[in-house]
Amino acid sequence: MTRPGDILLSVKEISLRFGGVRALTDVSFDIHEGEIFAIIGPNGAGKSSMLNCINGFYHPQEGTITFKGAERRQMRPHEAAAQGISRTFQNIALFKGMTTLENVMTGRMLKMRATLAEQALYFWRGRREEIEHREKVEEVIDFLEIQSIRKTPVGRLPYGLQKRVELARALAAEPELLLLDEPMAGMNVEEKEDMCRFVLSTNHELGTTIALIEHDMGVVMDLSDRVVVLDYGKKLAEGTPDEVRGNQDVIDAYLGVSHD
Amino acid sequence: MLYREAGQFKTSYSADQAMLTIPLDRWFVFALAAFAIVGVPLLASEYLMVSILLPVLILSIAALGLNILTGYCGQLSLGTGAFMAAGAYLAYKIATNITWLPIWVVIPLAGLCAAAIGIAFGLPSLRIKGFYLAVATLAAQFFLLWLFVKVPWFVNDSISGVPPAPPRTVFGFQVTGAAAGDEAKYLFVLAFVIVLAWIARNLARSRIGRSWMAIRDMDIAAELVGIRPLPTKLSAFAISSFYCGVAGALWAMCYINSVEPTAFDINRSFQVLFMVIVGGLGSVLGSFLGAAFIFLLPIFLNSAPGWFGYSVASDTITHIEFMLFGVLIIFFLIVEPHGLARLWQIAKEKLRLWPFPY
Ligand SMILES: Nc1ncnc2c1ncn2[C@@H]1O[C@H](COP(=O)(O)OP(=O)(O)O)[C@@H](O)[C@H]1O
Ligand SMILES: [Mg+2]
Repeated sequence: MTRPGDILLSVKEISLRFGGVRALTDVSFDIHEGEIFAIIGPNGAGKSSMLNCINGFYHPQEGTITFKGAERRQMRPHEAAAQGISRTFQNIALFKGMTTLENVMTGRMLKMRATLAEQALYFWRGRREEIEHREKVEEVIDFLEIQSIRKTPVGRLPYGLQKRVELARALAAEPELLLLDEPMAGMNVEEKEDMCRFVLSTNHELGTTIALIEHDMGVVMDLSDRVVVLDYGKKLAEGTPDEVRGNQDVIDAYLGVSHD
Repeated sequence: MLYREAGQFKTSYSADQAMLTIPLDRWFVFALAAFAIVGVPLLASEYLMVSILLPVLILSIAALGLNILTGYCGQLSLGTGAFMAAGAYLAYKIATNITWLPIWVVIPLAGLCAAAIGIAFGLPSLRIKGFYLAVATLAAQFFLLWLFVKVPWFVNDSISGVPPAPPRTVFGFQVTGAAAGDEAKYLFVLAFVIVLAWIARNLARSRIGRSWMAIRDMDIAAELVGIRPLPTKLSAFAISSFYCGVAGALWAMCYINSVEPTAFDINRSFQVLFMVIVGGLGSVLGSFLGAAFIFLLPIFLNSAPGWFGYSVASDTITHIEFMLFGVLIIFFLIVEPHGLARLWQIAKEKLRLWPFPY
């Protein structure tokens, strides 16, 4: 199911250090429009750090990131969001005191324009915008089948549903590039299947490009068009799931080591 | 409110989005407002109106302000008294120097000045959080009060330093100063309360309110969805200080009828903080419940023994008061951070399905 599109994001020779720890060394890869791209590797390989560089949480010491043809090295997360990059976190990063609906509405934040006065009076654009964006948010809520928990504070939801709400918030922003950090970690089989289904339909129906980190090799092989393997911060291999699976370095470094 | 929420279905997003989602709730609020405007001035005694409702309403505005900053945006502040003082002193300065300016313009203007000061003292919030921010706002509390007392310019070089509130009228009725009528004062303050509560509720359900809550709940994730932390926090400081400034101005002009520094000392900051904690963090309704509760509790404790024919020494009452406050604060902080407002909601949820809980 390879669908080679134009290059959406290109990572070139990225190196990231924390003091003496080399989290990433000279990593390069391209993510094409419309594909599901997986980043795999053992714990501590630097996968999360890679996503953090892409969306501006970490600033690599060397290398460049090109998104939609524009090159950059440093960027704040809210700037990345404004350019169309959304993400979810390995450890859920939801707004615990807010309801599902409010959380997902925050995904629309950057698309809202009402001035302070319009919001204070809930008048004209202040009111119209809330309703327009609510409609969009309801589409996402239907898409991810979380209608019944709309008004529940997310802090009270079980883990699996929280992960889903986090995906909903990311989708509400209508991102061009969606970064998912271990979307299925800690889920039971049923929840994993649901999440796989949602990831696939996001890609197929909404056409969103997805970069995801996943431990479960089965899931990675099923979902992704292409895979990059990291180990100790270095790129070990890149290619289709089948190519990567056959790569001897990968078998030694990753598949042979652990299956957590 | 003894009506049911079950069976009330919404058919459009705009209806669901509406401020008070159940029609009966909306009617209840309208009825309450109508009663406050028409019924209270006709029925209430002078004591009730001037000594109870007036201060409770003004403190509700301050509690709304602190709730925006602490309850919604998660930035702890101990500088409420100072921001109220800023409103009071600047309202006095503006009212006495631009005498043609209507008082209902002077007070929001003083609020704007307080907002500017709030922004200045909110700047450290980008770097420091929680306890350390609270200490920084405490510095604001002491510095500002010291400034207003030390610089005679603020009180037009008044010898006593405690000038009386200038008499001002609205529609020909005097609303400020000692000579103002009770009803006029009460209605003047009530107008501010209604408008400011409505605006607070609107802000809370709009983009800005969600940005505040996002910063409060997880500032890293807030940046992720495109919220810029500094402008968001500063907007909370500004709007919060505006509310506190208006409250301080009304307190000086309409309630104590003079501009007095002791009215805005650190005790005031704590009093308003207690109101917000007991009433409910992040709740407009809670700001009112908390203000009424904290203000009325000492009055109740003082008069309750008398109703039953007991007499209790006043220092004993003060001790009981302190103990009760302590217990309440701990209870609400640990057990129910959403305060009285949440207890009210739970009671309603129970009632909604009563007597069949399924
Ligand atoms: N903020 C940070 N400060 C210091 N070290 C970090 C930080 N983030 C990641 N690291 C280090 O970088 C390495 C890669 O971590 P990470 O990207 O989380 O790995 P993965 O997601 O592949 O498990 C680890 O050694 C980790 O300790
Ligand atoms: Mg990780």
